[in-house]
Amino acid sequence: MARGLAHLSDEALVALVARADEEALAELYDRFGRIAYGLALRIVRDPALAEDAVQEGFMAVWRSSARFVAERAKASTWILTLIHRRSVDLVRREQPRRAEPLDAAPHESGDDVEEEAWLRLRRTRVQEALKRLPDKQREALELAYYGGFTQSELADRLGEPLGTIKSRMFTGLASLRELLAEEDLEEERWSEPRSTS
Amino acid sequence: MERAEIHELSAAYALDALDGGELEAFEEHLSRCPQCRENVASFQAAAAELAYDVETPAPSPVLRNRILTQAASERPTVAAPPRPRRRWAFPVAAAAAVVGGVAALALAFWAADLSQQVDDLEAQQHGAEEIAIMLADPNAERIPIEGANGALIVDAETQEGHLLLFGLERAPEAHTYEAWVIEDGEALAAGLFSGGEDRGTVVRLSEPVPAGAVVAVTVEAEGGVDQSDQQPIITSGPAA
Repeated sequence: MARGLAHLSDEALVALVARADEEALAELYDRFGRIAYGLALRIVRDPALAEDAVQEGFMAVWRSSARFVAERAKASTWILTLIHRRSVDLVRREQPRRAEPLDAAPHESGDDVEEEAWLRLRRTRVQEALKRLPDKQREALELAYYGGFTQSELADRLGEPLGTIKSRMFTGLASLRELLAEEDLEEERWSEPRSTS
Repeated sequence: MERAEIHELSAAYALDALDGGELEAFEEHLSRCPQCRENVASFQAAAAELAYDVETPAPSPVLRNRILTQAASERPTVAAPPRPRRRWAFPVAAAAAVVGGVAALALAFWAADLSQQVDDLEAQQHGAEEIAIMLADPNAERIPIEGANGALIVDAETQEGHLLLFGLERAPEAHTYEAWVIEDGEALAAGLFSGGEDRGTVVRLSEPVPAGAVVAVTVEAEGGVDQSDQQPIITSGPAA
């Protein structure tokens, strides 16, 4: 980048994007493009469709950035929520879903060792939290989030009453929220908070 | 659908796992339940962490360029620079009638500079994901409206206003909806929109909504007008 934006927070970049700063959008893509693509690919299960979802998601970032309010949400949450919504919309429209993991997608590691390590750390963090959830709650969250299933589809698929699925999702997500918060507390005792840049 | 269980749907909503009638009902509920908005915000943060538990192969290098090229060809409408404000005289009695929720109201304006009509073409309409963001804002003030399902949502700090409308049919052929912010007997054109979205229509008002102001919607010929003699089909209560 001609102009160094690397030192800016994610939230500051979104504020620049709201002023139609294309370099700031590029920097956001460099920070979140890869995780966004990984998420989209997991959901839509097709590389071309995943790229469409990422493109549409980042265009939603571009178009609605003025509405983002940093005090109320992290920029990363906001961006990944937009990517998830687009991916789920696409998969519901375009293809029948399977919930099985992708067949051993080759993990092409990027050149950026630091990014690699950071992604691995984040991944371990959420995996630890997921492990501590009861199986059925974890299953409901995973099928909804990665499979793109609606709660009614889940009830059909699992052969359970809709009411059960609703409570399971609520309890599961509430527990995940608590577990992640606990891990953050533990982590703070060990290290300084790290920015996502 | 006002049973206690509706609060539970905040989790499925944050996971994008609601559909059809339940999605619409929950978004309607969200617009007046601050507790659920807070829950949705923290649930979305937890759900977004799940994004990190995926394989992360690198996307094709051309994707970055595709996105930046499309962005360059499209300026975000929400970042439009401040425009000169247009004001029209508005009968105080009529404004009071709107505050009282009386629909029979004639908006009487005089002509303004035609060249500024172009600004109105910046129809500021947003999609489903923006509804989610807006509803997740715990500080948003929700003001009831008459004439349609939905609400006027005003950010108390910035006075930024959004109309959230559910089940609004598409404007008739060659017509458009036009929003107005009415304050102290003056009405300001606040944007054009067409309605008819499956998941609800969000209109970002191009004028601030100060305390005491009301928002009205009229049906106008395509392109909108700077003065209206139409009766509003939708009126809000006064902003807090």
